[in-house]
Amino acid sequence: MAEIVLQTLALRRTFGPLIAVDNLDLRVEKQQFYGFLGPNGAGKSTTIKMLTGLLRPSGGQVRILGRNLATDSAEIKRRIGVVPEGLSLFDRLTGAQLLNFVGRMYGLSRRVAAERSEDLLEFMDLKDSADKLVADYSHGMKKKIALAAAVIHGPEILFLDEPFEGVDAIAATTLKRLLQRFISHGGTVFLTSHVLEVVERLCTHIGIIQNGRMVASGSLEELRNGVKIAGHDHSPLTLEEIFLQVVGGDRQNAEVLSWL
Amino acid sequence: MRRPGRRAELGMQVLWILMGSTFVLFGCIGFLLGGFGLPRINRTDLLDLLLWGVFLIWQLAPVLFEGYSPGLSFREIARYPVSFRVFFLLNAAYGLSDPAAITALLWLLSFWLGLTFARPGWAFTAALALLLFAVFNLLLNRIVIAQFDRLQSTRRGRERMVFLTFMVIILLNLLQINASYLTRVRGVKIAPWLSHAVTEVREFSPQGMAAQVFLGSGVAELTALAGLLLYGLAAYLLLQRQLRVVYQGEIYAETYTVRRKKKVRKGWRLPLVDDVTAAIIEKELRYIRQSGRLLLQLIYPPIIFLVFIFNGPVRKLPLQPVWMLAGVASFMLLSLPNLAYNTFGMDKEGFGRWLLSPPPLQKVLVAKNLTHGGLLALVYLFFLVIIMAMFHLRATPAITVTVAFAAALVIQLGTGNVISVNWPRRVELTQMNSKMSSQAAGLVALLVMIPLSMIVGLITFASWYWKVTWLPLLCGLVILAISLKLYSFVLDRVARYAWEHIEEITGNLSA
Repeated sequence: MAEIVLQTLALRRTFGPLIAVDNLDLRVEKQQFYGFLGPNGAGKSTTIKMLTGLLRPSGGQVRILGRNLATDSAEIKRRIGVVPEGLSLFDRLTGAQLLNFVGRMYGLSRRVAAERSEDLLEFMDLKDSADKLVADYSHGMKKKIALAAAVIHGPEILFLDEPFEGVDAIAATTLKRLLQRFISHGGTVFLTSHVLEVVERLCTHIGIIQNGRMVASGSLEELRNGVKIAGHDHSPLTLEEIFLQVVGGDRQNAEVLSWL
Repeated sequence: MRRPGRRAELGMQVLWILMGSTFVLFGCIGFLLGGFGLPRINRTDLLDLLLWGVFLIWQLAPVLFEGYSPGLSFREIARYPVSFRVFFLLNAAYGLSDPAAITALLWLLSFWLGLTFARPGWAFTAALALLLFAVFNLLLNRIVIAQFDRLQSTRRGRERMVFLTFMVIILLNLLQINASYLTRVRGVKIAPWLSHAVTEVREFSPQGMAAQVFLGSGVAELTALAGLLLYGLAAYLLLQRQLRVVYQGEIYAETYTVRRKKKVRKGWRLPLVDDVTAAIIEKELRYIRQSGRLLLQLIYPPIIFLVFIFNGPVRKLPLQPVWMLAGVASFMLLSLPNLAYNTFGMDKEGFGRWLLSPPPLQKVLVAKNLTHGGLLALVYLFFLVIIMAMFHLRATPAITVTVAFAAALVIQLGTGNVISVNWPRRVELTQMNSKMSSQAAGLVALLVMIPLSMIVGLITFASWYWKVTWLPLLCGLVILAISLKLYSFVLDRVARYAWEHIEEITGNLSA
């Protein structure tokens, strides 16, 4: 049986009367590329914040790499990498300074941090902008430097909140290459994304959340088998079709915008 | 608003508004009396000096008091479908919402009322002159603010701005020091060329022209009016030129030349601290280096101190070296809130990075405090060496003041940490209207300094009364020990509070 590296047990988060995440049970195994999907406001970002220690759960438990996040957060943080919503970058540092700094925060020696910063800047095609302030980076460059900062210490699991949002095709290709390489070397990726084509192509496992509850999960094949659409021909369902069927997102009435 | 922190912030804002209103009100009374009194005693030659007051408050206050003007980015407004004419008018009209502009306008109105009561015949011409003068000031203020915003946007610009602001402050202090000297010395003769230059500047300045419009008659009045109109026109054209570029989409981004470097440089290694702490200190110092205002606040005390002690007449004052050092220490501690009372302000969204990283928040706070405290300690050391060398300060009082300074520093840093998580405020290094800390921070700094000063006063008195010279040092050491203990307690509380209020703090620090 594959090693479970991420597990949540009845994870719950409320904001006053609003239940953002409702008794969520997640199970992610080692080397899985897990895509966590859901419509806007479904609870994806809240979940990923709770998984990375950026938000305290109202109830339930998070276990990462066999440890309890509530009691072992420092050790877990050392072994995970995160690209959070908003990226959390120190934008008045240059790209090189930022990577160096993050590496040292994770306990890398000065020499190793500098060497890995160099490698990552090269890989991300940011070498020419290494001495430029992150504040002056384009959106795609910021995403790339954030991903580089997330992997500099060699984590075992990567948590990525919308890594492909607002990224052009070239930058997206670089990000995908890095993630595939990470998986092939034994890493695990947990990502949220609205770009369903990317998720369909990259992810081995998918979870769909709606109103804070998990409404579907499994491999793409399992999801295809579980969803039936009336009148659909025999070609395999796309992830978009599955997603819309599961969350009921095909109900918009175009007639409302008759003036457009 | 339900949280005590928000209520304190609101309370502080109300207090500031009350203090500001009192200042404005007293100014109004002064201008009313000046406008009324000077013509009555036939000193109309001094009327333009009152207009200099209006000019200085309107133009300098928004520049010298950080984060004081209301903030609205006109680069954003330019994205909406507005014509350039509307864009220009909006920008100019927005200048009227600046507290300095409101103050200046109220003073001008009071001045006009005073003049009208004194010489009813001046009512119309004075109104016209003061209106033109106000329009000129409004346009000039918009030019100055936009220019400073532009300077703030680039690293080199920020450095130039630090230098410029620094020179203005130094100049003002030198003037103040020498003015007090001149008032004590009789028979000082001002060089004729200087006197002539001052007269010329007064006469041909917009202030002088505005006064001439209602003081002069016939050709003189018309010439002054034409001069004032020319000033207004020049300001209008300049502002129009400046705004057109913004309207057309100019971005004041950092210019950057691509340089392919061979190697990424290793991070700093610092003595006495571990690698993680060294990395945080390096990051903090890199940020401080980019903040002109913070740099200014660090450089300002030693330079003013040097001006002070090398100024001949002041040097003769019977000020004991120990009190000189104590004064310097207090001065420095009062400047600490800008550095330490909003310790996550410049990090902005980067705050989340501290929480994602393995080191505990306590360690981050200690490293930040070491940076801020270390910088202040370095400047203090500079003073200490100078005072010991020049004024022959003995070792015992020097150690006593240093211990007291260290204790107060620890207390201030601990307080700063509490304030930083309770009233976090996003700081934009590139914007003039970005405050370095919350308004409540200033009040808390005073609330901390007042009891500390009272304790120091009590100890000094007791030492003098009972003639126990070693008492201040002993008390200083005890207070230092207590403050260190308190500091470690506060650190844990602050870290816990930050974790419990992550979203609130992140929300305040995000755009």
